[in-house]
Amino acid sequence: MGILSLTTFIPLLGALIVLLIPKGQVKLIRGAAVLTTLAALAASLCALNAFDPGTIAMDGLPMQFMEKYDWIPTFNIHYQMGADGLSLPLIVLTTFLCFLAAVYSTSITERVKEFFFWYLLLEVGMLGVFCALDMFLFYMFWELTLVPMYFLIGVWGGPKKEFAAIKFFLFTLFGSVFMLLGILALYFQSNPHTFDMLELMKATGGFSREFQIIVFMAFYLGLAVKVPAFPFHTWLPLAHVEAPTPVSVILAGILLKMGVYGLLRISYSILPAGYEWFLPYLIVIAFINIVYGALCAMAQTDMKKMVAYSSVNHMGYCLLGMAAVSSTGFNGAVLQMINHGIITAALFFLVGVIYDRAHTRDITAFGGLGARVPVYAGLMAMTCFASLGLPGLAGFISEFLCFLGAFPAWKLYTVLSVSGILVTAAFFLRMLQKVFLGPFNEKWKDLPDMNLRELVAVAPLAGLMLLFGIWPRLVLDIMNPTLTVMAKMFPGMFAIVR
Amino acid sequence: MDGLKLLLPEFGLSLMALGLMVCDLFFDRRAGKALLALGFVAAGVALGSLGLAYNAPEAYSGLGTLWAVDPMSLFFKAVILATTTFVLMLSIDYKPAAELRHPGSFTALVLFSAVGMMLLVSATDLLLIFLSLELVSICSFILVGFERRDLKSSEGAIKYFLFGSFSSAIFIYGISFLYGALGSTSLLDLRPLLGEGPALMFMVGCILLLVGFGFKVSMVPFHFWVPDAYEGAPIPVTTFLSIAPKAAALGVMVRVFNHLIPHSQLELTGLFSLLAVLTMTVGNLTALFQTNIKRLLAYSSIAQAGYMLIGFVTADAMGREGLILYTFVYVFMNLGAFAVALTLGNEEGYELEAFDGLSQRNLGLALLMTFFMLSLAGIPPLAGFIAKFTLFAAAVKTGHVWLAVAAVLNSVISVYYYMSVVYHMFFKQARTHEPAPTRLFVTGTLAVAAVGVLFIGLYPEPFLAVAHLSAEFLPSAAALP
Repeated sequence: MGILSLTTFIPLLGALIVLLIPKGQVKLIRGAAVLTTLAALAASLCALNAFDPGTIAMDGLPMQFMEKYDWIPTFNIHYQMGADGLSLPLIVLTTFLCFLAAVYSTSITERVKEFFFWYLLLEVGMLGVFCALDMFLFYMFWELTLVPMYFLIGVWGGPKKEFAAIKFFLFTLFGSVFMLLGILALYFQSNPHTFDMLELMKATGGFSREFQIIVFMAFYLGLAVKVPAFPFHTWLPLAHVEAPTPVSVILAGILLKMGVYGLLRISYSILPAGYEWFLPYLIVIAFINIVYGALCAMAQTDMKKMVAYSSVNHMGYCLLGMAAVSSTGFNGAVLQMINHGIITAALFFLVGVIYDRAHTRDITAFGGLGARVPVYAGLMAMTCFASLGLPGLAGFISEFLCFLGAFPAWKLYTVLSVSGILVTAAFFLRMLQKVFLGPFNEKWKDLPDMNLRELVAVAPLAGLMLLFGIWPRLVLDIMNPTLTVMAKMFPGMFAIVR
Repeated sequence: MDGLKLLLPEFGLSLMALGLMVCDLFFDRRAGKALLALGFVAAGVALGSLGLAYNAPEAYSGLGTLWAVDPMSLFFKAVILATTTFVLMLSIDYKPAAELRHPGSFTALVLFSAVGMMLLVSATDLLLIFLSLELVSICSFILVGFERRDLKSSEGAIKYFLFGSFSSAIFIYGISFLYGALGSTSLLDLRPLLGEGPALMFMVGCILLLVGFGFKVSMVPFHFWVPDAYEGAPIPVTTFLSIAPKAAALGVMVRVFNHLIPHSQLELTGLFSLLAVLTMTVGNLTALFQTNIKRLLAYSSIAQAGYMLIGFVTADAMGREGLILYTFVYVFMNLGAFAVALTLGNEEGYELEAFDGLSQRNLGLALLMTFFMLSLAGIPPLAGFIAKFTLFAAAVKTGHVWLAVAAVLNSVISVYYYMSVVYHMFFKQARTHEPAPTRLFVTGTLAVAAVGVLFIGLYPEPFLAVAHLSAEFLPSAAALP
C-alpha cells in the first residue's frame, strides 16, 4: 500500500474503530478520533518529506507516489492515486486542518460517536479527491464528502440546520451529476475508452473544440458549486453559518478547494479548448466573486456570516489567478488556496470561540473586548490582517501573485478587482473596531480568555500565517515546478492571455 | 411439447404450492410458521437448482414450443426466486403465530405468483405471456387483500383488481390485433412481418401490448394502482410486489421489444424514452409529498422502474447489462428498506414518524436504512450508484443524452425524499428509548441486503461479469428469421 492510500484510508480505519467503541466511552472515542487524524497528518508529512518537487517528466505531468491497480476492468476503471506539486500541498492542508478541527471538536458533547464517525468519513472523501487520478475514483470520493457533511451540518448545526444540510446536499449533488455526465462523455470520446486522467490529458488533442466546450460546461457546473463561483454561491453562507465551528472550518478550509483543484486538474488539463473559450467569462466571474463577496460581507452583522462571505471574496482571487494561465497566476491561485485554508480556518475557530462564550456573534453586541481578552484579541487581529492582505502575513503574498499574474492579460478587470481588497479591509477593520475597541460593554466583564484546547487549534495556524508571509518559498518551492509545467502545457493555445 | 424439462423448477414449485394449500386445511395456526418456512425452503431449493444452470448452461437452456430458457430468463428467474425466498422469510417474522391466517394459502399464492413470473420471463408466445400475466395478477390481487378485516387492504385489492382486469382486457385486445395481422400468436413468427415495414394494425397491437406490460412495471401512466395497493397490502406482500413482478415484466418487455420485435424497427424508441422520463419524473415528484413509508417506497419504486427503462430504451448490450445489474441491485436495496420498515411497523405503524430518532434507539439499524436510502438515490460508493452509472453510460453511449440528463436530474430530486427518511432517523428526537426490536429472519435479510449493497458498490466487477453473461437471448439474434 502506497503512502497516499495509507493517508487516505487511515481515517476510514479510525471511523470503523469509533463505530465499534460503545457510545458511553466518550473520552475513548475523542482520543481515538484525534489520534487518527494525527496519524493521517503524520502520513501526509512523510509524503511531503519524500516528495521531490524537481522531478519533471518529459511527457506531461510528473506524478509521484503512483499507485495503479485494476478495479473494474469491464469499464477500464483503475484504482489510481498519485500526487504532484498541485495536490500534495492540499493533501497536507487537509490532514493538518482535520487534526486541528478534531482537537477543537473534543468540546462536542452531544452524540459524540456519530459525530466523529461522520467526521472521519469526511476526511477520507476529501483526501481521496486530491489523490485520485482516475475519474471514476475521483467522482466516488467527491460524492463521499456529501453524506457526512449533510449529517455534520444537520445534527450538530445551528437553528436552521436541517434546511442548510439538505440545501447543501441538493446544490452540490445537482452540480456533480452533470460532472458525472461529463466524465462519461470523456470516457466514450477517448479511444481506447478510459477514465485515467493522465491518459485523458494526453488524448486531449483528439477532442474537438465543440465537444470540449460542452464537457467543460458540464464539469464547470459541478466544480463551480463547490468553489463557489457566482451565481452558485448561495448555499455557502447558509451552510457555513449553520454548521458547527469545526465543520465550518473544514467546509471553508478544504471543501471549497476541491472545486478550484478540479478546475486546474480536470477542466484546464483535459479540456484546454473549453477552458480557453470560458476565460472571458471566468474573469468576469472572478471579478464578481471578489467585489460582490466583499460587499456582501460588509453588509453582515453576524461575524460568522461575514467570514463566510469573505470566503466567496477570497475564492475570487483564486479564479483571478487561474484566469491568467501563467505560472505566476497559477502559483498565486494555489498559494491562495493554502493561505485561505489556513486563515479562514483560524477565523472560523475564533468566531466559534466567542460564540461558545457569549452565545452571540453579532458584531454590535460587543465593544472594548481588547482589554478583557487580550490573547483572543491579538490572534483575531492578526488573522484579520492576514485575511485582508497585510504585507508580512500570508494572505498578501498569494493575493499579490494573483493580481500580478492576471494584470498583463486582463488589465481592466484586475484594476477593478483591486477595489475588492479595499472593501475587505473595510469590513475586517470595522469588525475589529466594534468588537475590540471603543467603550467596554459591561455585559462581558466575566468573559474568559481562550483555553488550551482553543489555543492548540488556533496557534499553529497563526504561526503558519506569519511563516508563509515572510518565507512563502516553503510552499512555493513545492508547487512551482509542477505549476510552471502546467502553465506551459499547451503552447499553441490561450492566445487571448498571451 | 419440446423442452418440457426446462421448466422443472416451475413444476416443482407448483406442486409444492398445491401441497401447501392442502396442508392449510389440516394444520392449525400454531404450525403456520412451519408452512411459511416450508415455502421458503422450496423457493430456496428452486433458486439453488437455477444456480446449477450457471455451471452447465447448455443442459439448462434451450427452446421449448412456447418458451425459451436462456441466460436472460435464467437471470430473471433467479431474481424472482431470490425475492420470493426473502419475502417468505420476512413473512415468518411479520406477525406472531397466533395472528396468522391461512399461512398455507398465503405461501401457496406467493409461490404460484412466482411460478407465473418465471413462465412470463421465458415466454415467446403471446398466449403464454397472457396466461402467466393473469396467473401473477390473480395471485397478487388476493395477496394484496389478504388482511380481510383491514379496510385499506380491501381498498387496495379492489383498485388493483379493477386496474388489472382493465389492462388485461386491453392486452388481450392487442393480441387479437397481432393475431389478425399475422395469423399466429408466436412472437417468433411475428418477426418476418417487420421487414415489410410496420403496418398500422401491427403497430396498434404492439402499443396495446405495452399497456399490459406497463401496468405490471408500474410505468406512468399505468401506475395509479401502485400507491394504494402497496399501502394496503401486508408489508411482506408490498415487498414482493415492489420487486418481483416489476423484474418479471421488465424481463418480458426486453425479450419482446428489444429482441424479438425491436422497438427501434417499430420506430417506437422515442415513445419509450418519453415514457421512461415520465415514469421517473412522476414517481419522484409525487414521492416528495409522501408521509407514509409504504407510499414513499411505492412512488420510489415507480421512479426506479423509470431508471430501469433506460436500459430498455437504449437496447444495446450495455443497456441490457445495466438493466440486469440494476434489477439485481434493486432486489437488495428495496428488500433492505422494506425489512427495516417491517421491523418498526408492527409497533410504530408505517408513517414516517415511526422512524423518529431511530439512530438513538438502534444506530446500526439507522445506518443500514441510510445505506439503503442512499443506494436507492444512487450515491456512491453504494451499489445503486454503479447500477445507475452503467445505465447512464449506456444512454450517453447510444446518444440518448437528454434521457441521461433527465435521469441525473431525477436522481437529484429523489435525494430529497430519500433523505427525509434519514432526517427522521437522525435529526428528530426519539419518542421512546426502547431499543428497536430485532428478529431473526429480518436481521438475516438485512445482513444479506447490506452486504449486497456495500459489496456490489465497492467491487462490482464479478456482478458486471454475471450481467454480461446473462445478457444473452435464445434464439440468438443471428438465428432469428
